[in-house]
Formats: sequence, C-alpha cells, structure tokens
Amino acid sequence: MTDLHLLAAALFLPLFPLSMLFNAFFNRVQHAVLRGAILIVWPHIGLAIIHASASTVPEWMTTLALVTALLYALRMLALRGVGQWTGFLATSMWAVLWLAASDVSQSMHHLYALGLSIPLVLLVSLSAGLEKRFGAAYTGLYEGLALSIPRFSGVLVVVVLAAIATPIFPAFFIMLSLILATGGLMPFAAVSLLITWLLWSWAGVRLLQGLIVGNKSEEDIADLSLLAAWAYAIILIALILSSMFVIGSMS
Amino acid sequence: MMPNLMMLIIVLPLLSALLTHLLQCPLGRCVARISVAATLLSVLLASALLWLSLTGPEVADPSVSIGWMTLYYDPLSILMALVIGVISLIVHIYSLRYMAEEAGYARFFMLLDLMTASLFLLVSAGDLITLIISWHLVGVFLYFLLGQDTRSPSAYRYAFWTMITYRIGDLPLVLAAILLFQAYDTWSLPVIFEQITLNPTAHSVFGMPLPEVIGILLALAAFARSAQFLLHTWLPYTMDGPTPVSALMHAGIVNAGGFLINRFAPVFVNTSDVLQWVFIVGLISAVVGSILMLTQNDIKKSLGYSTMGQMGFMVMECGIGAFSLAIYHLIAHGVFKGTLFLSAGSVINKSRKDDGVPKDALYTFVVERQPARTRKPWFLMAAITLLIPLAILIPSHWFVSEDYFQKQGAIILLFFGWVTGAQLIFSTYRMQTQNLWRLVAISILSFAVVIIGYIFVSHAFDVYLYPDAAFREQMYAAASIGKIRFDIIVAIVTLIIVSGWLLTYYSERNGKRTRYAGRVWLMFYALISREFYMTDLYTRLTRTILSVASKLNVWLRWN
Repeated sequence: MTDLHLLAAALFLPLFPLSMLFNAFFNRVQHAVLRGAILIVWPHIGLAIIHASASTVPEWMTTLALVTALLYALRMLALRGVGQWTGFLATSMWAVLWLAASDVSQSMHHLYALGLSIPLVLLVSLSAGLEKRFGAAYTGLYEGLALSIPRFSGVLVVVVLAAIATPIFPAFFIMLSLILATGGLMPFAAVSLLITWLLWSWAGVRLLQGLIVGNKSEEDIADLSLLAAWAYAIILIALILSSMFVIGSMS
Repeated sequence: MMPNLMMLIIVLPLLSALLTHLLQCPLGRCVARISVAATLLSVLLASALLWLSLTGPEVADPSVSIGWMTLYYDPLSILMALVIGVISLIVHIYSLRYMAEEAGYARFFMLLDLMTASLFLLVSAGDLITLIISWHLVGVFLYFLLGQDTRSPSAYRYAFWTMITYRIGDLPLVLAAILLFQAYDTWSLPVIFEQITLNPTAHSVFGMPLPEVIGILLALAAFARSAQFLLHTWLPYTMDGPTPVSALMHAGIVNAGGFLINRFAPVFVNTSDVLQWVFIVGLISAVVGSILMLTQNDIKKSLGYSTMGQMGFMVMECGIGAFSLAIYHLIAHGVFKGTLFLSAGSVINKSRKDDGVPKDALYTFVVERQPARTRKPWFLMAAITLLIPLAILIPSHWFVSEDYFQKQGAIILLFFGWVTGAQLIFSTYRMQTQNLWRLVAISILSFAVVIIGYIFVSHAFDVYLYPDAAFREQMYAAASIGKIRFDIIVAIVTLIIVSGWLLTYYSERNGKRTRYAGRVWLMFYALISREFYMTDLYTRLTRTILSVASKLNVWLRWN
C-alpha cells in the first residue's frame, strides 16, 4: 500500500487528524439528503481504496484507528448538536473498520460499513426533523420530546439504540466480530474496542436524555406522521433481519 | 415437547409486547390485560416444564437450536424461568392499578413484556451470543423502565447510573465469550462445558489457565449485575423509578449475577483461586450493604442497601461452592424483597397517620434501646447462646448428608448459621419480658424451623440442579483453601465476633462511652452517612471525563 493510498484511505475511513477534515466538511453540509449520501458513500470509497491495494494495513495504522475511535467516542460525550454527534459517531465507527481489513472479504467489509451507516442516515433524517420543528437540533435546548411528540421520540430512541450498537442491530454484531477478530492477536485492541463501545452507549444515553426527558412543551408541535413512523419501523426491522444474516455467516 | 414449551415461554411476552403497542389506541388501558394474560400463560408453561423436568426421564442434551440461536432447558433454566415468570406476573398485576394514573401506560407494559422476554432468554441461553444479547438487553430495558416518568430528570439520572454500571459489566462477559470462542471454536455452552471438563488446562491466556481467566471475567460481570462492592452505587439510588420496577429489579434482575455463576459452574469448578475472591467480595458487600442499610432513614433506600447485603450473601454462597444454595437464596430473597417493595408505598402512607408500632417490650428494646434491668446468670445464657444453635445445626446437616462436615464451604455455612442463631438468642435474653424462658424457647423454635426448612429445601435444590454427586464435590473442592489457612481464618473470625459480643456486653454494662470512643464513633457514622464517599468519587470521576471531552473538543475546534 503506497503512502498516497494510505492517505486517501485515512481520509475516507477517517483517521485522526484527517478525521478533522471529514468532520469540518460534514458540519458544513447542511442538507439532510446530502449528509445521508455522504454517510452512505464516504466509507465505501475508503474501503475500495484499502481493498484495491493487495498489501496489508500497517500495524501503526491499526493503532491509529483504535485511537481515533476512542478519541471521537470520548469527544461525543460533550456534544450537544445532533448533526455533529452523528459525524463524530460515524468517524469513530468507520475507524474500527480498519481492524477488519485483513480478516473479512471485501463484500463483507462493505456490508459492515453499510450496517454502521444506515442508522446514522436515519439519525440525520431525524435531526432534520428536529431542525424543521424547532429551528435547531440541540440537546438541552428544548426538552420533554417524549411527551410533546411521542411518536417522533419513540423512533429517535430506537434509531439511537441502533446507532450505538445495541443488540440486535447490525452494529452490535459487527462490533462483536471485530472484537473476535482482534481478541486473539491484539487483546489490548479488543479492550479498546470494548471501551469505545461503552463510550458510544454513554454518549447515546446523554443525547437521549437531553432530548426526551422533561416537561411537555406548551406549544403544539406536529408529531411524526404515522406513515413516516412505519417507514422508519420497516427500515429498522430490515436492519435487524440483516444482522441475523451477518451473524449467520459469523457463527 | 419441552423445547416447544421453552420457545413459547419466550415468544409469548414478545408477542404481547407487539400487540400491546399495536392495540393501545383501540383498546386504551385494557391493552394491559393482554400483557397480564401472556405472562400468566408463560408462568403456566414454565410450571408445566418444571413438572415434566421433575417427573420425566433425564434428557441427554437439553438444548434446541433455532438458526444460530440455542435455547437450553436444563433444570437451572427451567427453575429460573418459573421464578422470573411468577415475579413478572405479580409485578404485572400490581401495575394494572398502580400505574393507571401514569402517562405512557401501554409503553410501560410493553417494556415490562420486553424485559420479561429478555430475562427468559437470558436464563435459557444455550450459546454465548444469545447470552450476551439478553444480558445487554436487560440493561437497556431496565434503563427505560426506570425512566418511565419522562418528566423526571432525576429518574433518568439514576437510570443512567444503572445502565452504565450494567454496560461496564457487559464488557468482561463479552471478553470471556470471545476468549471461549477462540479456544473452542464454538459458541455453544454445552459443547464448551464438555470440552473444559475433558481437559481444563488445554488452553491458557497470558500464561494463566483459561478457566481461571474466564472465571475472573465472569465474576466481574456478575458483580456489576448484582451490585457488589465498588459496583453497587446504582442500586440504592434507583428509587425514583416506579415501585413495580423496583420490585422487579430487586426481586429478579439483580439476581442475575448468581445465575451467571451457576450457569458457568463447569468453568468455576476448574478454577483454583477465583471462588475465594468471589467469597471475599461477597463478604465485603454483605457487610457494607448491611451497615449502610441500618443507617438509612428512607425506607426504599434502606431496602436497596438490604438487597446489596443479600446479594453479597448470595455471592458468598457461590464463593464457598454452595452454588445451588445461592439459587435458593435468590429465589427466597426475590419473594420477600418483592413483597416488601410492593407494600412499601402503603406502609409509608399508613405510617403518616399512625406508625402502627405497638409500644410493647420489643419496641422498648429495639427502638428505645432499653435492655432488661434484671438478668439471668451470664454463664448459663452464654452457654445457651453458643450451644443450642450448634445442637440444631449439626444434626440437621448430618441428616441430609453424612459427609457434610468434610467440606470447607459447609463449615463456613454452619459457622454463619451458628453466629446468626447465637446473635438471635443473645439479643432476646436482654429484652424486658415477663417470661424470659418462654421468649428464649420461641426464639430457639423459630431458629430451628428456619434452619431445618432451609437445609432441606437447599438440599432438594442441590439434588435437582446438580444431580451428579461428583460434580457437587468438585464445586466444594474448587472453593477450598489449605487446611491450616482455613483454620486460622475461622479462628480469627470467631475471635472478632466473640470480641464484638463482649464489647457490646461491656459497653451496655458501663453506660457512657469515653470521649475518644465517641469521636471514633462519630467519624465512622460520618463515613457511613456519606456512603463511604463512593457516590462522590464516581460523580467526580464522571465530571472529570466530561470535562476532558469538552476540553478536547475546544482544542480540536469541534472537528
């Protein structure tokens, strides 16, 4: 793998400090559809670059990937903006994909990236919904969404759970397979992955608490339509079914 | 038939959760009845399963596979499924009226069903992935159940404490699962147990035998789930959640640690030092939990610390190799603690009007701390205090198993039984009463009934859960230490306890404390009233981590 290849891959499967470029770019893009497209396409470019080169990923890059994942997971704890939170989670999650570079086939690797990105796309869409209703998507700015817009809150909770690798969503099985891949050769990598995973959960809970907890808003706010809720439900069910497929190939 | 029953037990609450969600609009609050009916059906099926297990022939491979998922229906799974079902059913029925005025009524029952399904899945998991999934999901559903009142930031704050402790406990379990898979190339628990039994030292990690490492990791996971010392702070603080959830948590969920150790009994019997550490952690938790329970002025928080103490005892029992006794303990504790929680609200309400405590001899002795003025000869009472418990304990233990006294774990249990009995009689003879001998006789009789009942039921559990006598021997052997070390420890502990009794006797005879003793007592009280500063420490730690995260974001310009 040439230095140029490495550099390009580290930009598209963002590694620190190139991850700062990705996040600056992601924050600048405001349109939800564009953000969703970036979340879907971006890691696949990185994966394509990695797999185009036949040589293995240097060990120091694996270490850097772990550091990046851990760093962004930690930094997520102090974020209030839902959009920025999504960008940081994407950075942290995509970084762990480096660990599977030599252990899984290219198609499975792309499937992993998709499994990690789809909940993030849903989150971006919900973040746009919040901006439309309140003018901004920040935790602590408005409260009590569970009482004001219960359907929206229900979907938000499940999507955040899917994003932070809760069973039985794909990210959970992907994390499990990555820990399995690293556990034998690099036990410290497995422990780092577990801590990263823990930080995602912590950050996810902080995000939810900042949005759904509190008294009902006095204003009348339009809830998510039943049709939209069903659309989210179908995607989430499809995600669960696909994770069953991933695990099927794992065991 | 048994595999189908096991599957149905898990599927029913899942189906009920789905129906409760979908039918909440047309059915309104009546939708909760679906949830109750499904739980009742699960309990009936679990009872049928237990009946089949007790009366039917022994099943060689009690597991069934559904795709990659394996369900286990061995005696431990069946018994635990019934316990979970019964507790969940009581909580469901209680919640019908208790939660009627609360917002999110249907959501509550849906979450209760999902929690019940996760618990059923947890106890019947026959492979490591199913176990991890259910273990993790229990923490997630508990978080949302504790945060049922979405208006209450404090309920969510403490639900978060629970969730994060549970997640910390998930990590060693995942690591253990990964290590086991790498060693044996299978997720199946029965296969792994078989391989470990055949050759326990076949694999090692960092030079340590694999069972030893797995044992440590599993014990850590169990400690987090069962609120053992250092990982206990979440338990007494989760009282802002609905009372039925507290009951479910204290009666069922918190017992998962004891279950986990039992499930992995074939691993623990092949460890050398792990069970001793389990015993020590359990002992510390039991002592700390009991001390903190006594200093609380909030009944629910007091119950919370009482649970911590009881969980300490349960873990201690595992630590001495009495695995099945731990299961009996968790069931017995579940029943009485669930009852206490569910009746706590009405007790508080009633006591606001009238505390209902009769001002009799017991009240004078316990609350006003006024011992009797006239006493019987101390030598006679000391002899009764020390000898009668032994006279009850030794024959009853000998009756169920003649070689009982060959096991160190059994001696420890006997020792605790003796101390408890002696403490009971020691307390009674100082009470003001018209007929002291009648009181002592009643105390001894109560003690005898409890001990004999406990011994016979625990023996029945032992035979049902671990029918292989050789395996039972192995469990006690794994928990044993060198004979000399054991004798020294028993001697030291006896000395400490007897000194405690003498000190109590002396201080009561001589009245006031010295200034120095008073100061030490005050410092100790300050320490326990701040709960050993554990919550302050964790709060500081959390704030530091958040502050570091914030500073990093500023330095890196939020990108």
